Amino acid sequence: MSRRVRTALTSLVALGAVTLTACGEAPDESGSDGGDFQACMITDTGGVDDRSFNQSVWQGLNDAAESNGDIEPSYLTSASEADYEPNLSQAVSKGCEVVVAVGGVMTDATRAAAEANPDVFFVMVDGLIDLPNVYSVQFDTAQPAFLAGYLAAGTSETGKVATFGGMKIPPVTIFMDGFAEGVAHYNREKDADVQVLGWNPETQEGSFADSFTDQSAGRSLTQNFLSQDADVILPVAGNAALGAPSAAEGTEGAKVIWVDFDGCEAAEQYCALFLTSVMKNIPPVVADTVTEAQAGENRTGSFIGTLENDGVGLAPYHELESEVPAGLADEVSALREQIIDGTITVDSPASP
Amino acid sequence: MTTIDVAESAESTALHGFWTRSRKVGTVLAVLGIAVFLIGLTMTAGAEASVRFNLTLPEAAAAFPAKPVVLTLGAVAVLLGALLLTGRVHLPFGLTVGVAVAAVVLALLIWAIARPGNTLQIDTVLKGTMLLALPLIFGSLSGVLCERSGIINVGIEGQFLAGAFTGALAGTVTGSPWVGILAATVAGALVTFVLAALAIRYVVDQVVLGVVLNLLVLGLTGFLFDRIMKDNESATNLAMRVPEWQIPILSDIPAIGPALFGQNVFVYLALVLVALVYVMLFHTRWGLRTRAVGEHPVAADTVGIKVNSLRFRNVLIAGLVSGLGGAFLTIGEALPFSENMTDGKGFIALAVLIVGRWNPIGGLLGALLFGFAMQIEQFLSSVPGGSPVPSEFLAMLPYLVTIVAVAGLIGRVRAPAADGKPYTKA
Repeated sequence: MSRRVRTALTSLVALGAVTLTACGEAPDESGSDGGDFQACMITDTGGVDDRSFNQSVWQGLNDAAESNGDIEPSYLTSASEADYEPNLSQAVSKGCEVVVAVGGVMTDATRAAAEANPDVFFVMVDGLIDLPNVYSVQFDTAQPAFLAGYLAAGTSETGKVATFGGMKIPPVTIFMDGFAEGVAHYNREKDADVQVLGWNPETQEGSFADSFTDQSAGRSLTQNFLSQDADVILPVAGNAALGAPSAAEGTEGAKVIWVDFDGCEAAEQYCALFLTSVMKNIPPVVADTVTEAQAGENRTGSFIGTLENDGVGLAPYHELESEVPAGLADEVSALREQIIDGTITVDSPASP
Repeated sequence: MTTIDVAESAESTALHGFWTRSRKVGTVLAVLGIAVFLIGLTMTAGAEASVRFNLTLPEAAAAFPAKPVVLTLGAVAVLLGALLLTGRVHLPFGLTVGVAVAAVVLALLIWAIARPGNTLQIDTVLKGTMLLALPLIFGSLSGVLCERSGIINVGIEGQFLAGAFTGALAGTVTGSPWVGILAATVAGALVTFVLAALAIRYVVDQVVLGVVLNLLVLGLTGFLFDRIMKDNESATNLAMRVPEWQIPILSDIPAIGPALFGQNVFVYLALVLVALVYVMLFHTRWGLRTRAVGEHPVAADTVGIKVNSLRFRNVLIAGLVSGLGGAFLTIGEALPFSENMTDGKGFIALAVLIVGRWNPIGGLLGALLFGFAMQIEQFLSSVPGGSPVPSEFLAMLPYLVTIVAVAGLIGRVRAPAADGKPYTKA
């Protein structure tokens, strides 16, 4: 009987292993020639389909591979924060030329890996690491979030707008800071009194889903905001943010502002609820960095995406365009120019 | 051990010496009450709060001065705590603790929101509590069914995920949420079929098995999501909606009406299931046999109960229930599927099962307690002006409450004697 037990267990574990590895995109047939340039991504806990920054990075790697056949993208999924270190070492030991680490939470683990492997080129998305073999890619999302806050305040009918985050980390709170500042700017300009729920930029305290995957938490937070009469919600929580449009769907006049990606592409079924999206233009910078690295030129230092270099921006208003008064849309465009030429500065303690 | 018999053991000095459970709890309550009282003293005299009990009765949301209310509630908690501590007056233990804890919680809530324009929306809070508790109710029920018959089910998380995925897929493809729900229960049962087959037939260690099954389903759903859903969401992964049933008259009851009688179909399903499993487990022949198999399989066998086939059947039924919990996460909440969306709820359900002492009603109460703590965290952070309590502390609240509940109120818990022990005929 004990042999039977062992066979059963082994086959089960093997089955599990097969399924798990299957998520990490099968390598090309040519993978073993050694001629290929391996660009490996380590996802954050949101996974590669998070309709948010992990997905954007993955798209950037694929764009690079499409224009340059020698680049071979792959990814390792981190199911939890405990997976960062093993995933990073696995990427290094399987000979990846470029390791793209995604997410501010992974910064410390990536720094350790980069120090231990000075010959490997690392790209740190959403975090800053000051090492010669690391290129840090960051985004000043406070700028477009400021525009979104102004827009939200201008379109709110109840005079209350809300935001919540996935976790209290700088790449998340920077959106919330910018958003709150944008609302404050609207209040000053228009002598209005629009309230922001879920984030207090002075105390840096607010609402968090405590997860980037738990949609139910996002949904129930949004429900709480709606019952407080907020009608424009900015969720900054990866997949957990999907709970926001789901809850808003049942409430007359409620709108959602998506982040990282254009919501109408990332979560198409909710397009009618998206007022706009605060976008990080991740794919081009990732693609360029990897393409240059393949050509033998490793970038050093850091990149900061701003409104000026189109690294960040607001998405089109899509189906809700009619809800945005023409005057307001013009004011938002004018504000964008003012931020670019420096007349208005958007400060956040989390700014890169 | 079938009922929550805290009261009998709570006051027995023969068992505990001077520090009986009711004295210990009384001390804690008195200290909490004093803390509330002191917090109340720091409030400005003019602070106002209003409480809303029901959306349909807006007049009920009258503003009242917050400070005296907080002070009074604190005093009530101190008084009840002191009475328990002296041990002179015989109060019903559960009720006294309940009232005192409610007073403390209500006082803290009023303190936290006491700013002009803010309303304590009791109806919203309770409705949200019910929804946050729901997956835990299904999960702990599934655990009860398994563990009462002697099989440890660590794989609730995996059954949730399988149910959530299959529910979204089948529901979207057929266009009917009901088909989705049905498919989700089958998916949950398929996962427990593997559990049952390997644990009962092949005697594999059940805890290891549960963990492996969780990983297997996490990987499998992630893989299938990639291959089937990701590029074709509109045909495979839409948010389905089940109706909300407003039960006439009952749903207008202030405070608890919207939470219990104006809800999602899943809420009614869960409440009926809790009652059903409770009655079945403790008042039918099947229940007696199930408990016998979980406590003393050898004895059960000698009186002619087919131990392993009964276990097998119960584990499959448990899978149906946890699959239903998974369906709630997508179909019930009107959400599309996304990878790892269960986010550890299956493990919390396991904790709820233990807090509830392997009893369906205990599980219900434990789940509600946990849901309430989570809802309070969210509610306080969402009121205008935010919460005076740091968000990191609020995030700990559900876990803190669980620890206090286990240590202070539940006391020693005992799993079914043969839980996790495979049965093979000697």
